[in-house]
Amino acid sequence: MSERAPTLVLDRASVAYGDVPVLEELHGVVHEGEAVALIGPNGAGKSTFIKALLGLVPVVRGRIEVLGRPPAQARRDVAYVPQADTLDPDFPVSVEQVVMMGRYRRIGWLRRPSAEDRAEVADALERVGLAGRARDRFGTLSGGQRQRVLLARAIAAKPRMLLLDEPFNGVDAVSQHALLEAIGSLKAKGASVVVSTHDLAIAHLACDEVCLLNRHQFGFGPTGDVLTPERLRATYGGHALELRGDRVIVTQT
Amino acid sequence: MNWLDSTVHRALVEAVLVGVLGGVVGVFVIARRLPFFTMALTHATFPGIVIAALLGVNLYLGGGLFGLLVVAAVLAFGRGRGQDFTTATGIALSGGFALGVVLVSAQDGFTKDLAAYTVGDVLAVGTGDLVATTAVAAGVLLLLALMGKELLLAAFDPVGAAALGLPTVLLDFALLAVVEVTVVATVPALGTILAVALIVGPAATARLLTDRLAPLFPLAAAIGVACALAGVWVSTLWNVATGASIALFVGLVFGAVFLGTAVRGRVRRAAAVRA
Repeated sequence: MSERAPTLVLDRASVAYGDVPVLEELHGVVHEGEAVALIGPNGAGKSTFIKALLGLVPVVRGRIEVLGRPPAQARRDVAYVPQADTLDPDFPVSVEQVVMMGRYRRIGWLRRPSAEDRAEVADALERVGLAGRARDRFGTLSGGQRQRVLLARAIAAKPRMLLLDEPFNGVDAVSQHALLEAIGSLKAKGASVVVSTHDLAIAHLACDEVCLLNRHQFGFGPTGDVLTPERLRATYGGHALELRGDRVIVTQT
Repeated sequence: MNWLDSTVHRALVEAVLVGVLGGVVGVFVIARRLPFFTMALTHATFPGIVIAALLGVNLYLGGGLFGLLVVAAVLAFGRGRGQDFTTATGIALSGGFALGVVLVSAQDGFTKDLAAYTVGDVLAVGTGDLVATTAVAAGVLLLLALMGKELLLAAFDPVGAAALGLPTVLLDFALLAVVEVTVVATVPALGTILAVALIVGPAATARLLTDRLAPLFPLAAAIGVACALAGVWVSTLWNVATGASIALFVGLVFGAVFLGTAVRGRVRRAAAVRA
């Protein structure tokens, strides 16, 4: 593990909207091919964490380095997957066109997609199991399928780091499986993954590391070490119940 | 004798130009949910017209420049509160129009000039208006052709666009400015109050007919041109107001297509139930 290059370095970093600090004392390292789960209650700052890695929220103290650069300068190699239900389902755009947006950075201004771009789009759709839906309107797909389309858009960008904001919320089992498969294959190719989720089982299943968040960091490290009842209770402020000593149920998220 | 010396010929050319321009720009207005913003711009450019009349400069230049100020103000106040411009737009609409009314009421004499501005008259457009509309149409269509994909992404997924490093503030300004110059260019034909019809109506009608982005543009432009030409024809035939005739055709076509697609949808669902 240690010979792998670090892709994300958090050095006692605090991020803030204006004067209001949202997240404080972030500290940890993620390497190539590793996935880290961001876990914490609603309003804990998980989305802000992801926006900070995109350079959309400023670091006011400490340091964040993405792929060895300040976040805003790493965007070319970072892909962001928003929550599907934040996008307008009536928007007249096809599945194929949404995935093509992942190629815009490579295509550049004033140019049109090339045959290679089209091939990458088709390949990305294949990898999330939606090759047959390319020409359908984005809004006609189910929530889970739309989430897979947005992951395909990220795959088409060929990122070295993938940021996913609550991709498993309200997603059916088939889509969840497809999302996990696709994330796994990106990891296998050396990409780092940062994924915010409420689902501790998914964190266990798909992620090597966990970052517990609620305004500040309650733990960062290997999943087995960090996902302990004590730490979860601290993160969720008492809204976590213990079950049989080694499992935890989060009663309020 | 030049072909364009005829009032009717000039009106027909103007109708085609504003039909295409309104239809194409309307696709973005509908997709980005900006009809209210478009409506507001038609009113918020009013003080610019009055000021131009006071200073004795071109009315549409005045309206155009003032409109750009309004666009910048809406962007400045609307950002940071999500991507919703509605509140800032509402204030710009009432504030701008009120300023125009105050300026008009403080002066005597030019209310007659301004009457034409509020309802428009495509039969009164001069060659200068035609040149201006052609220039705006060419500029807008070129911009949309060159920056179409970036404008599309910024409209569909603003955070995703920012995450790619696209200048979203600039793209928002470009789109709102395109709507603004389209409003100003459409005003001689339809007037401030009715210009919104030719920008929102044809695109909304086309949206009922197709889910796909690419055919929306030619379809909306064709509907816009057809309504504008029909309006000119009816107004010369019966000597009624041209701007209003065009706006009425837009409304009628939208209504007919809406009913048609609703009936077809019911028939299909019924057939699906029987099958």
